[in-house]
Amino acid sequence: MADVLVVENVVKTFGALRAVDGVSLSVREGEVFGVAGPNGSGKSTLFNIITGIPFHADSGRILFDGTPIERMPPHAICRAGIARTFQTETDFETLSLFDNVKLGTVYGHARGMSEEEQRRVTRETLEFVGLGGDHDRPAGDISVFDKKRLMIASALATKPRLLLLDEPASGLTRPEIRETSALIRRLSETGVTIVLIEHVLPLLLTVSNRLMVLNFGQVLTEGHPKEVVKNEQVIEAYLGKRGDHGRDAA
Amino acid sequence: MTVDVPAIIVSGVVLASLYAMMATGLALVWNTLGIFNFAHGIFMTLGAYIAWTISDEAGLGWGLAGGFAIAVATMIGGGLATYGLLVKPFQNRKDIVLVVVMTTLAGSFFLENTGRLIWGPRLKQLQRVVEGTVQPLGVSISAHELVIIISTPLILLALYAFLRWTRTGSAIRAIAQNQDSALLIGINVPRLYALSFALSAGLAGLAGALLGGIRFIVPNMGSEPLLKAFIVVIFGGLGSLGGTIVGAYVIGLIESTSTYFVGIYWTNAVMFAIFIFILIFRPTGLFGRN
Ligand SMILES: Nc1ncnc2c1ncn2[C@@H]1O[C@H](COP(=O)(O)OP(=O)(O)OP(=O)(O)O)[C@@H](O)[C@H]1O
Ligand SMILES: [Mg+2]
Repeated sequence: MADVLVVENVVKTFGALRAVDGVSLSVREGEVFGVAGPNGSGKSTLFNIITGIPFHADSGRILFDGTPIERMPPHAICRAGIARTFQTETDFETLSLFDNVKLGTVYGHARGMSEEEQRRVTRETLEFVGLGGDHDRPAGDISVFDKKRLMIASALATKPRLLLLDEPASGLTRPEIRETSALIRRLSETGVTIVLIEHVLPLLLTVSNRLMVLNFGQVLTEGHPKEVVKNEQVIEAYLGKRGDHGRDAA
Repeated sequence: MTVDVPAIIVSGVVLASLYAMMATGLALVWNTLGIFNFAHGIFMTLGAYIAWTISDEAGLGWGLAGGFAIAVATMIGGGLATYGLLVKPFQNRKDIVLVVVMTTLAGSFFLENTGRLIWGPRLKQLQRVVEGTVQPLGVSISAHELVIIISTPLILLALYAFLRWTRTGSAIRAIAQNQDSALLIGINVPRLYALSFALSAGLAGLAGALLGGIRFIVPNMGSEPLLKAFIVVIFGGLGSLGGTIVGAYVIGLIESTSTYFVGIYWTNAVMFAIFIFILIFRPTGLFGRN
């Protein structure tokens, strides 16, 4: 299969800190590509520089469908077909769920949609993520789980071909994590390519086709999820030198 | 002593109208970009000078309508230039708020002195939009002031309608609420930053051209209204354009009342006292969000 996203040797520094330090990866059309790594290992920063929100890479190349995007403005990257969610809740709190998602249909497209089409896509998208019920609640009033799904819906409303999810399951209960996992699978079945950052390992292992582990801004290893979690270095990176707790984490 | 209530109200509402135009622009930029533009006052001054140069017989003599149009258009350009030169280069910095205080203050001093060089120290005054006085409701008021009083709400209403009902306006409100989300859904944020600046500067230029008909045009004529606009924005509540507009009218009326009773020299002290007093009880201003 063709590579949708190719990242070559990207670097992003904050002063002396090399938050992303020469990362390369390629994501194939239609797969779910998992990204794991300890806190501060540069996962979110990697998403930031792919989408240009809020900054670009210092150096390196990023190709989307073969087109270089490492210097494209964020709105152009979005309209080209890459959407993301953030680790923390981002939504328009005073707007209703419906209007939150509708904004994505209004601005996120290369070609415009008619008002009718916007409303239809908004409704379908909310339903798809499981927020079909009450659209008119303000986004400020909803639960963490609903906010996570609302962020995914807003991203989907821009009709992305590549979706970057930053810890969609953090802070959720077990049943909610199971639902999220089902949602990601359903998403994947629609043909959208997904890159998934997650600390909740069971989720990451069940949905990812391939898994990459970052540590101190560098790629520690990459491969089949089941193999990756057995890797000694990975266990060490997550748990320090005493790898004997590794089984519990996985 | 008889209190001339109608006179107090008229002069209060005229002041309020000018403050409302200034403060709305200041607030628009604050809400969208999260910065205070200290060069906002100079847009007002330049608006007045340019309108004078274009319209006055001592200048080009092209008439008042041309003067207003070119003043506003030039200030829109000035707003774009200010954004591009003094704000945009620093926008990825963490200390952007402080840096922009410096850059816009510097820009404003530079332009004020340039203005002094170009137009000299002699006081100038613009023609009035309409000459004469009128007496609506039995109160005598200059026709020019009546134009200010009536046109301000109309202009602000147009701005409201733009922000509320147009695609671009909604995008600006979306940015004001959450910049990351706005980027996320494909809004061209830098372009709308520039547009907010342009609108804000255009409004200030218009306010300056209107003020030039009732006060002398001097190189620092924008400083006092800028100070008042800051008070208005904070008083009305950061983040609320409606609050800013209500705040402008409250501050304008307080100022005219205070000027009437304690005179012009004590008025600023009285205003700040009231301002601080209110902020003690409502730290977020009248309509502010946390
Ligand atoms: N805007 C920034 N300015 C300065 N340092 C930053 C910035 N963003 C991230 N960092 C630093 O870069 C490093 C990588 O951060 P990043 O958020 O990418 O980690 P992460 O892998 O997503 O961690 P987590 O699992 O906690 O979300 C951290 O040390 C962080 O403190
Ligand atoms: Mg992160």
